[in-house]
Amino acid sequence: MINKNEYILVVEDDMQIRNFICYALKHEGFSSTTAGTAQDALSQLANGQIDLMVLDLGLPDLDGMEVIRTVRGWSEIPIIIVSARDQDKEKAAALDSGADDYLTKPFSATELMARIRVALRHLRKSDARQGQAILTVGSLKIDFEKHLFYSDGAELHVTPLEYNLLSLFFKNMGKVLTTKYLIEEIYGIGHGTDTQALRALMAGLRRKIEKNPAKPRYIFTEIGVGYRLVDE
Amino acid sequence: MEKERIKKPLLFFTNPCILLRNNRFLKRKYDKGESQIQILARKSTLELEIDRMRTGKTNTRIEILLSILISLVCVTGATGIGWVFHLKGFPETNIVIVYLLSVLLTACSTQSYVYGIAVSIIATCAFNYFFTEPYFTLSVNDPTYFITFSIMTITAIITSTLTSKVKQSVFAAQEREQETSAIYQLTNRLSDASDISEIASIAVSTTSTLLNCHAACLCFTEKGQPEQSFIQQRDNDSQARRKLIDIEETKHRIESLRTAYAVGPEFYDWPIYGRESTLGILRIPKETAKKMNEAQKSLLRSLIESTALAMDRFISMQAKLKSQQETLQERYRGNLLRAISHDLRTPLSGIMGTSEMLMDMTDKDEEKHALAKDIYQDADWLHSLVENILSLTRLQDGKLTLNKQKEAVEEIISVAVAAIAKRSPEYEITVHIPNEVLLVPMDAKLIEQTLVNLLDNAVKHTPLGNEISITVREDKEKALAVFSVADRGSGIAKSDLPHIFQMFFTTGGKGPDAKRGIGLGLAICESIVKAHGGAIEAHNRTDGPGAEFIFMLPMEGTDYDK
Repeated sequence: MINKNEYILVVEDDMQIRNFICYALKHEGFSSTTAGTAQDALSQLANGQIDLMVLDLGLPDLDGMEVIRTVRGWSEIPIIIVSARDQDKEKAAALDSGADDYLTKPFSATELMARIRVALRHLRKSDARQGQAILTVGSLKIDFEKHLFYSDGAELHVTPLEYNLLSLFFKNMGKVLTTKYLIEEIYGIGHGTDTQALRALMAGLRRKIEKNPAKPRYIFTEIGVGYRLVDE
Repeated sequence: MEKERIKKPLLFFTNPCILLRNNRFLKRKYDKGESQIQILARKSTLELEIDRMRTGKTNTRIEILLSILISLVCVTGATGIGWVFHLKGFPETNIVIVYLLSVLLTACSTQSYVYGIAVSIIATCAFNYFFTEPYFTLSVNDPTYFITFSIMTITAIITSTLTSKVKQSVFAAQEREQETSAIYQLTNRLSDASDISEIASIAVSTTSTLLNCHAACLCFTEKGQPEQSFIQQRDNDSQARRKLIDIEETKHRIESLRTAYAVGPEFYDWPIYGRESTLGILRIPKETAKKMNEAQKSLLRSLIESTALAMDRFISMQAKLKSQQETLQERYRGNLLRAISHDLRTPLSGIMGTSEMLMDMTDKDEEKHALAKDIYQDADWLHSLVENILSLTRLQDGKLTLNKQKEAVEEIISVAVAAIAKRSPEYEITVHIPNEVLLVPMDAKLIEQTLVNLLDNAVKHTPLGNEISITVREDKEKALAVFSVADRGSGIAKSDLPHIFQMFFTTGGKGPDAKRGIGLGLAICESIVKAHGGAIEAHNRTDGPGAEFIFMLPMEGTDYDK
């Protein structure tokens, strides 16, 4: 169960948004603290027992990306990015730098709370999940030991590349995997940013596991950023 | 003084058509190198033209007399010289040559070849009469003389006609040159004009001087309607505006015109045709127009042509200036809109989040919940307006660089459909995609926005429960990916169809509960698709009610031109 005494840091320069996030957190039973600048946020992170950070990419004093890199230097706490709609590149870069999730403004408090819950659950579960040989999502099942994949209880033939892709998704359930990350993991570094092969691979896989590829149930596309396997 | 000198040579020429040109030709001979005089002479061209018209008949008669006189002098002179040769006992050949010379001189100094031929025959007769035995008769003792006579006559005739021909072709060349120069001068004057009525005024004064009448010019407005009044020449230097009484009739006369000019009650009207429309009418008073000869008509045509060119140039310059100003204004407006929109974004996020919180905290039946919901919805609407304005200004500035990559169509569609499902969960959207993976080069984010806008539009105009579908297919022949968003809603009114992609256009005539539209969604769609080198169209469905929006994206990097 989620321990609602998690301490959450909200880094956001706009007071209104900061206030309503805090209010929503309080409503959910979380404790929270706020920071209006990157410097403030970093010192709070260094001092206190922060469990999760909600970070606005557009801060007045320091680039949000810098904050992520600095934090990742010493801490693995979940970071959820909040950004404007036209900052896709920054979003992907932030995820590649170690951020866990992102939300686009304007977001609903419900959505943010859901993301926070998922991130916290992952934090606790990830160690446990690490050693598990079998993971399931809906009617999909992956067996890491036997290198097999099942759909609706029956074995589903997937190519080695598809299997690699699936294992990446299952290990990062609910998390956005950026296109860049996936290409590097599957085709190796130096493949560049040619997304065409990945798109084709994804499309093939989708046709195997989704009943209607245009209305997916498991793997969702995050346009301009990457893909996410649903977390149930 | 100069004018006197120029006018005199006029009298030598018979053909009134060439008169004007000869004048200048001779003037040039006299004043070669004296630019000031040339200018003066050029200015007097029009006056000379009038002189010609007034004195044309007298000139012709005097010229004929003069030509005859020259011919007689030449023949008599040749006979005199021949007589001296005869007395001195020179061979007869010399006398024949002298006669031939006289024919040549006549041909050179008279206008018509008739004189040359006449002199040729007279010369032969004179040679026969004076210098062959028996003397002072037209009979000949030695029949070999007939050979001499015929050769002499033929040579004389050929010489005279050749000379005339050369002269005439020189005149023709001058004629062309002078015509060009006259038009050039007129164009010069016209190009200094600062507006249409000044062009009309110059045309009127030039025509009036040329034809010695009170010509008039009626300009047409940009919309092709005649103006309320027209300019007419009064006296030498004054012009007046007269009210046009029969506007409709005049317009109709010009529109239904099949010949060069229209006959009206007071004027003969020559239309001034521009590149795209009729620019105006040049009006020549009836009496003058009736008497015009071919040369005058040709001159008038050239004049109208020049006027039309000047007007056209003026109009296109005006249009260019206007569009430049509009572009500038558009840019200012875009910048302002963008600045405002950007600053609205953040507080709107706050308002939306806060009002949503309020909604969560209150009971659904409470009044407070309804109020919070109202705030949320308005903020949401405002937010989408802001985002749309931002997208549009960026698209229209051309500042937005397309991030084109080959994307799987199904991914884009699934995201768009999911976005609509989140916003309007009560609507069911049917999706048809090809079985094989379709990878299309596009900016995924922008095409998703296009699809969301089109679906949003469909939702707005479709009653709950009716079909909304989205279909993609590949047109292999044209190398296009064809996207179609179709609904079973009210369809598009015929009158709205041409405007549907215009900015801030919303379909009017709806009730008070109508869902609010911003009128930017479709404009954005069009901008995005066009930026991709594609095309978008809207029409009503033929297989029942509802509208269908189709857009096409090129499969390869090549642009699709409709």
